[in-house]
Amino acid sequence: MDFVQTNIDGLLAGSAYALLALGFSLVFGIMRQINLAYGSSLLVGAALAVWLEPILGLGVVGLFLLTVVACVLAGLYVERLCFAPNRGKTGATVPMIASFAIWMQLDEVSSHLLPSRTHNFPGLEIPPMFFGDLYLRGDQIVQFVVAFTSIAALYYLIYKTRFGLLLRATAGNAETAFLLGAPTGRLRLMTFLLAGLLGGISTFLILSADGQVTPLFGLWSTFKGLIAMMIGGVGSLPGAVIGGLLLGLIEAHSSTQFGAEYRDITTFGILFLILIIRPGGIMGVSAYQTGRLAQERI
Amino acid sequence: MSVYVASILTNMALISFLALSAYLVLVVGVVSFGQQAFFGVGAYVTATVTSIYGGHAVTGVFIGMLSGAACALVLAILTARLSGLYFAISTLCFAELCRLGLLQVRAPFNIDGRTTGPDGPEGFSNIRWIFEHNYSVQDFLVLTTVCLVALLGLLFLLERSRIMLRARLVGQDSILAQSLGLRPILYRIVFVTLSGGVAGFGGGLFALFNTYIEPNMFGVMLGVHGLAYAVIGGLGAPIGPLIGVAIDIGLLESIRAISAYRMIAFGGLVALLLILLPQGLISPRFVERMRRWRKLFHA
Repeated sequence: MDFVQTNIDGLLAGSAYALLALGFSLVFGIMRQINLAYGSSLLVGAALAVWLEPILGLGVVGLFLLTVVACVLAGLYVERLCFAPNRGKTGATVPMIASFAIWMQLDEVSSHLLPSRTHNFPGLEIPPMFFGDLYLRGDQIVQFVVAFTSIAALYYLIYKTRFGLLLRATAGNAETAFLLGAPTGRLRLMTFLLAGLLGGISTFLILSADGQVTPLFGLWSTFKGLIAMMIGGVGSLPGAVIGGLLLGLIEAHSSTQFGAEYRDITTFGILFLILIIRPGGIMGVSAYQTGRLAQERI
Repeated sequence: MSVYVASILTNMALISFLALSAYLVLVVGVVSFGQQAFFGVGAYVTATVTSIYGGHAVTGVFIGMLSGAACALVLAILTARLSGLYFAISTLCFAELCRLGLLQVRAPFNIDGRTTGPDGPEGFSNIRWIFEHNYSVQDFLVLTTVCLVALLGLLFLLERSRIMLRARLVGQDSILAQSLGLRPILYRIVFVTLSGGVAGFGGGLFALFNTYIEPNMFGVMLGVHGLAYAVIGGLGAPIGPLIGVAIDIGLLESIRAISAYRMIAFGGLVALLLILLPQGLISPRFVERMRRWRKLFHA
């Protein structure tokens, strides 16, 4: 029974990682760039929401909307400052370092918005459920359901709409897509906004399940998203979902088996092995074998 | 010179070793998020040699440098077929594994009534070599600066050699380099190993200077700062990373009034600087232009 409980806990936590990984995967898949400021733009979104909510007094729904809007705005800021001006001029290293600098900046902004180390983040206050011996936290069930609804909506957007077609064309070959009339600049901006939207939703879900927001959330979410994306396969959207769930399972099992202090060692060890043995991740092998990603330097 | 100024200058010199090691990796066209691991390994090994085995600081730093280089060699061979993002993330994993591994090492020693040796998250305390040999902060600054200048001299010699020219070609276009008969992977292994040695050397000096180290000092933030200094400074010449360090620590740390807003200012400045000068301050193009000016006056 413990084994089943661990699996359930892992999958519930993994649904949040999957959303974070999707944000990274969207940006990497379409722009071939790494946005290191992703986690801190989510942190600053959450900090702004927590800071504004008592002033405006909108309750939990208002907090949710504020978080999402603030995360989207923070994503817009990062795109305009780090990625849009450097497009085409350089490889991916320069925008990545610029996004790192903005990471530092946004972390500092959030620590000014949230002066004490932890701040309450109002939860959804849904009672837990019991199935025999199994214990399910209500807010985590909501997290799981919302995560998968968002993933389904994203799937519809990417694979069933004209906008998604344009996005996939840009991801496949940006120059050709541009020559055929795709507004690649606007599409890249939209990618960032979409990543911000997904990030905002996952930020709210994760923080309301935790009940608090700390300055460490930025680094934490960057790491979890990046690791889940790399496990699943770079740039592959199904890969990001599978990687997120798998990361949740790995973490849950390693902390019950070896204790909490070995959780991160196991995670990084597995990721290191995956990178050495199967660099494309679980789903990204075909993308890796085309050799384009392999040749591309960042 | 006051102790405060001397310690800031020493810290700048120490972080310069890390920035130079990031520079050496960037030259061959890959990005490493893991240079802090070699820095940390160098620091721990030097601390072990000097305070547990009672070795001389020179021996300690030398062994620290070798172990940093050895770690880097292992990493470079393991990641030989990875490129770009995959290489960057695997170095990050390696560095985090080193840090998390060091957090689990608990081997405190009791030497002359003092606790020393690695003790997990409590860190490695009482690295007393510079106290026992009566080195003041100012003396240590001189020592570190001499080491840094010597390293810069070696790098300038390397810069004039064919090895560096070829490494730069590998970094700019590995397919072209391959078609000219170079083996990019060989250059990458050599340069990553060199960078590990440079970082390990800096780490050893860091341990001696700080007298206390803990694994969490060598987190990903340290490595990415080193990387950022190298990118801001530019890849044209080894002096570039030092300028990056000087801008961040020297300029911003010394202006105490804005220290609470330091990262807001620095982060914004770096992003703007990279829009204006994507190749950094001392870019390869800038160095080439300077060479042409020099030729003009020589002829």
